[in-house]
Amino acid sequence: MSSSFEKHQKRRLISSYFSVVLSIALVLFLLGLLGLLVLNAKKVSDHFKEQVVVTIYLKDSAKDVETKQLEKGLAMADYVKSTEYVSKEQAAEFMKAENGEDFMDFVGYNPLQNSIDVHLKADYVTSEHLEKISEEALSKNFVDEVTYDNDLVNLMNENVKKISFWVLVLSSIFTLIAVLLINSSIRLSVYSKRFTIKTMQMVGATKQFIRRPFVWKSVRLGVIGAVLALIGMGIVLYYVNKTFPELGLLNPPILVVLLFAFVFGLGIMITWISTHFATQRFLNLKTDELYY
Amino acid sequence: MSNPILQLKDASIFQGDSLVLSNINVEINKGDFVYLIGKTGTGKSSFMKTLYGDLPLTKGEGYIVDFNLNGLKEKDIPFLRRKLGVVFQDFKLLTDRTINENLLFVLKATGWKDKEAMTTRIEEVLTKVGMSTKGFKFPHELSGGEQQRIAIARALLNNPELILADEPTGNLDPQTSIEVMEVLQDINKNGNTILMATHDYALLLKYPSKTLKCDENQVYEVVQRKG
Repeated sequence: MSSSFEKHQKRRLISSYFSVVLSIALVLFLLGLLGLLVLNAKKVSDHFKEQVVVTIYLKDSAKDVETKQLEKGLAMADYVKSTEYVSKEQAAEFMKAENGEDFMDFVGYNPLQNSIDVHLKADYVTSEHLEKISEEALSKNFVDEVTYDNDLVNLMNENVKKISFWVLVLSSIFTLIAVLLINSSIRLSVYSKRFTIKTMQMVGATKQFIRRPFVWKSVRLGVIGAVLALIGMGIVLYYVNKTFPELGLLNPPILVVLLFAFVFGLGIMITWISTHFATQRFLNLKTDELYY
Repeated sequence: MSNPILQLKDASIFQGDSLVLSNINVEINKGDFVYLIGKTGTGKSSFMKTLYGDLPLTKGEGYIVDFNLNGLKEKDIPFLRRKLGVVFQDFKLLTDRTINENLLFVLKATGWKDKEAMTTRIEEVLTKVGMSTKGFKFPHELSGGEQQRIAIARALLNNPELILADEPTGNLDPQTSIEVMEVLQDINKNGNTILMATHDYALLLKYPSKTLKCDENQVYEVVQRKG
């Protein structure tokens, strides 16, 4: 029959382990999310960059063959992601749908032009490339005008640079916090056992023999914490991927697997190293020094 | 020719930077029962700590159970302690496990592998201290005297060449002190060497034996007057 003391002890143990596991899980979870952000930062920025549209307005005199040839040429270019021909009738329809009224009723005719919307590949969405592409298109005599939001492009490129830098800084700080938090949780839990550790030394146990169960127990807590963090990351990844499938968060899967393995490994490594050093610290102290 | 288990020559004992005892010349032979007496703060515990490697011996010579205390290496300390049995005033049992598990820990830590041999040895030492029925209990479920008996049983596990008992009756009432003392006496009669620090003079009178006294930074032998 287990006594009430044993039950009480077990409860105390479980609750103290619970806080260690929870702190490991939360910290690794946050770190994992940041890892996902770092992995997908380029994808996210590419996604927004590729929304930038370069519109090539064609003169009314442009021949069908010329238009088709231009569109085909653009579609085959390295820097183009997609092209879309928008006829003046389609453009009028869009405007009508957008404004809720038919402007042709009071203008009397369709003043819009046929155009080609060009979406560029993210790497080419820079002022220099856009200017080059624009000049190339304008060199054709049936092209009337090329428009794009140059300020937006500049702002976007500037922000992407800034965000990438801060994400990296934040990741480093988070990794440091992760290590420090887990380390301090483990040190506290080892500290509470410092007299037990000393007693074990007094009866002739070697440092390695004493350290082993402490390290093993912490690594087990680290594994549980890491698994909880991975479950959390999995759930977040599932819902974000469901909401923004165009970001392709799970591609390539190997990177996601590597990130999960990294978080899992980090959980084990931090707990292992922290426990090793925390235990070693008390193993190296003389009995009298334990009271300071 | 006597073969001393413990020998100190011109040894000085320091607690940190402060000198606690100096010019100690002590010899303890196999089978001896030696008291170490002295007022609180005279250095009994520091003396004991030096013997089991918790304080370094930096001045003088010291030999204990074939270990040289001068320049004793950190890695050798566990092996020194395996040849000693140490009994503390505050018992120092592992409170998170039962008595059997306490004893099992010591056996495993000191290299025992055979489960059956370990169980037998635990039974033997518990029987020796009259606690064979208490193995399943946790330390807090035992009285002070019982915990000290367990601590003595623990010290006996590896058949130590020398038992160092640092005020083993310090936390016990007079009656229980005598019971614990009886256990130590029985162990001594079986051939174990014991060095016991105490300030319980009643025990000295009841169980007279060779006595060392710590006083004014010195350790010297005192002769008991026969009552």
